Amino acid sequence: MYGGDEVSAVVIDLGSHTCKAGYAGEDAPKAVFPSVVGSIDQMEVDDPDNPDKNPDTKSKGKRKFYVGSQDLGFRRDDMEVLSPIKDGIVVDWDMAESIWDYALRKCLLIDPKEHPMLLAEPCSNTQQQREKAAEIMFEKYQVPALFLAKNAVLTSFASGRATSLVVDSGGGSTTVAPVHDGYVLQKAVATSPIGGEFLTDCLLKSLEHKGISIKPRYAFKRKEIRPGEFQTVDLDFPNTTESYKLYSQRVIVSDIKECVCRAPDTPYDESSYSNIPMTPYELPDGQTIEIGADRFKIPDILFNPPLAQSIPGMESYAETTSYVRGLPQMVIESINKCDVDIRRELYSSILLAGGTGIDATIERTSGERFT
Amino acid sequence: MEAVVVDAGSKLLKAGFAVPDHPPSMIIPTQMKCLPADESSTDASLHEIIVDPVVRGFISDWDAMEDLLDHVLYNGLGWEIGNEGQILFADPLSTPKAAREQLVQLMFERFNISGFYASDQAVLSLYAIGRISGCTVDIGHGKMDIATVIEGAVQQISSRRFELGGLDLTNLLAQELGKSYPLVNLSISDVEQIKEQYACCAEDDDAYEKLQLSCPEEQHTLPDGQVIKIGRERYTVGEALFQPSILGLQAHGVVEQLVHCISTVSSENHRQLLENTVLCGGTASMSGFEDRFQKEASLCSSAIRPCVVKPPEYMPENLSKFSAWVGGAIIAKVVFPQNQHVTKADYDETGPSIVHRKCY
Repeated sequence: MYGGDEVSAVVIDLGSHTCKAGYAGEDAPKAVFPSVVGSIDQMEVDDPDNPDKNPDTKSKGKRKFYVGSQDLGFRRDDMEVLSPIKDGIVVDWDMAESIWDYALRKCLLIDPKEHPMLLAEPCSNTQQQREKAAEIMFEKYQVPALFLAKNAVLTSFASGRATSLVVDSGGGSTTVAPVHDGYVLQKAVATSPIGGEFLTDCLLKSLEHKGISIKPRYAFKRKEIRPGEFQTVDLDFPNTTESYKLYSQRVIVSDIKECVCRAPDTPYDESSYSNIPMTPYELPDGQTIEIGADRFKIPDILFNPPLAQSIPGMESYAETTSYVRGLPQMVIESINKCDVDIRRELYSSILLAGGTGIDATIERTSGERFT
Repeated sequence: MEAVVVDAGSKLLKAGFAVPDHPPSMIIPTQMKCLPADESSTDASLHEIIVDPVVRGFISDWDAMEDLLDHVLYNGLGWEIGNEGQILFADPLSTPKAAREQLVQLMFERFNISGFYASDQAVLSLYAIGRISGCTVDIGHGKMDIATVIEGAVQQISSRRFELGGLDLTNLLAQELGKSYPLVNLSISDVEQIKEQYACCAEDDDAYEKLQLSCPEEQHTLPDGQVIKIGRERYTVGEALFQPSILGLQAHGVVEQLVHCISTVSSENHRQLLENTVLCGGTASMSGFEDRFQKEASLCSSAIRPCVVKPPEYMPENLSKFSAWVGGAIIAKVVFPQNQHVTKADYDETGPSIVHRKCY
């Protein structure tokens, strides 16, 4: 044992949208920050001793990473915003390492050598991923002990149950996983690429179509010309990358989504929601926008993915959303793949997890399931 | 006997008995000189090493801290060996768990105190002005903390710590003065004094631009007799907090960081946090800082506009320099009589990790 209670274990959950890190035994993580990194390619200085370098070899520049919402919030020239996670699993280990570094050394301020580590991994994690994670943890951070646990199992335990159906609607994807006695039933896990980020993109396209341009925070500056009167001055930074602009816009739009959107009680229908009152929202640059039917349309995409096709600008996703199932269908499909004996228990203990869980989702899911 | 409240900052250590609404009785510099143990060396000044036990808000040199606390408790406050009392510490934001445990171990094992409690400086600063929820912007010598507190609990996720403080401003001022007066030999402590006397904030960034071009100058006499003129450097120092690019850092100014922290909290608490914003810490008591802060704050969109709170009238002047201490004095009056602190018996039974369960 590592001194029992004396030096606590550290828990890190690297999700597709945010990374959560904290100490074991506490009821909330100490650090929650976006799991994307800003990366600036730094070209190596040309080697003067090698004039006849093969022009085909690309000089491998080192990338400098900026992690955390403070560093990401600051606009830098040529900074690309990249994500180490694709389809729920880690693809770029350098970036994942920089995120872990930031969490351990900057947020928690600990020395990993002294703390056992618990990593939360997605249900669809492969053998190679697990091996690579263990390799990095032991070789680079030299942790004394490591445990990899599946997200669904941890969510289940967090609510005090060993058997449940975990519906995890996160940033990058939605996963429905049945957990029985602390083990995930792999065959019955259902995933869908519709997650919080997809909904944010839908809302962004919908607003753009209506003519509302979302100005990223770095693109303007407010001045007070007379007491009480403000003027917004546009700033132009030509060297800002597209990915950074998109990232900044997404931050603002996801705030709109979180404040204003609600899952509708009944399935969304163009005609019935065309007359609802609009909700105002003040953008950071002072513009006030009104959001009406989109408030309910966007969350309904979780339940009814083909709805996304009706949003102008999202036609490119038409083929993916046509075969993707909505949330209630995924739940039924997942439970039907399980053993008959445990189905009753799973039906009665459905847990909602993930950032995209909106209030009315619970009643909605139970309502739709039996229709 | 009253409990003792100690707030060990990077520059000044504030200590005193817990008498609320009064300033701490001891405000001494944390920096210590280390003299060699052997008396035989004739040239003592050569071997003097400057020791900083508290670096960037956290205790880094535990032996030096032990000596400092020894001086403070036994010589300064009059504790007697064998009759030690209770002590309350103010910790900065994001103090590692191991550091707290080490502190509690030091207090119980070396000083043999009878009771211990530790609390976050942010929470204490809010108590000092009579609030349990709000935001604190604590700009000290070694670090700057922006903390959101709801009902007495610091929201770790939306609080931030920056390694930017009075120390960096002093270095900046030294650099600027070095450019204007390359021949004058300025020691850091002289620059520190100059900064405390003259540094101020411009009204807004347009005014700052104008001042950079032409600024009234003031004369200052250095301890060695030389006279220097201080003009726009004084405003540069204040501006660095609002435009960290002056210091070479890629970060936003203090008001934007505050707004960012508040936006991370769920929107139902925004009102509470925005209306109860407190500025504390030595560097925040720079002249013109509060007005500039309020001005920059009014440029934010109305939903997220911070509003600085004034301390109550019964509090001593210059509360911002030791608000964490005063808050500690207030809470000591509540915690110790109600036995919510860590007692010697608790420590003996469970060990240092008891501090995480009892103090938060």
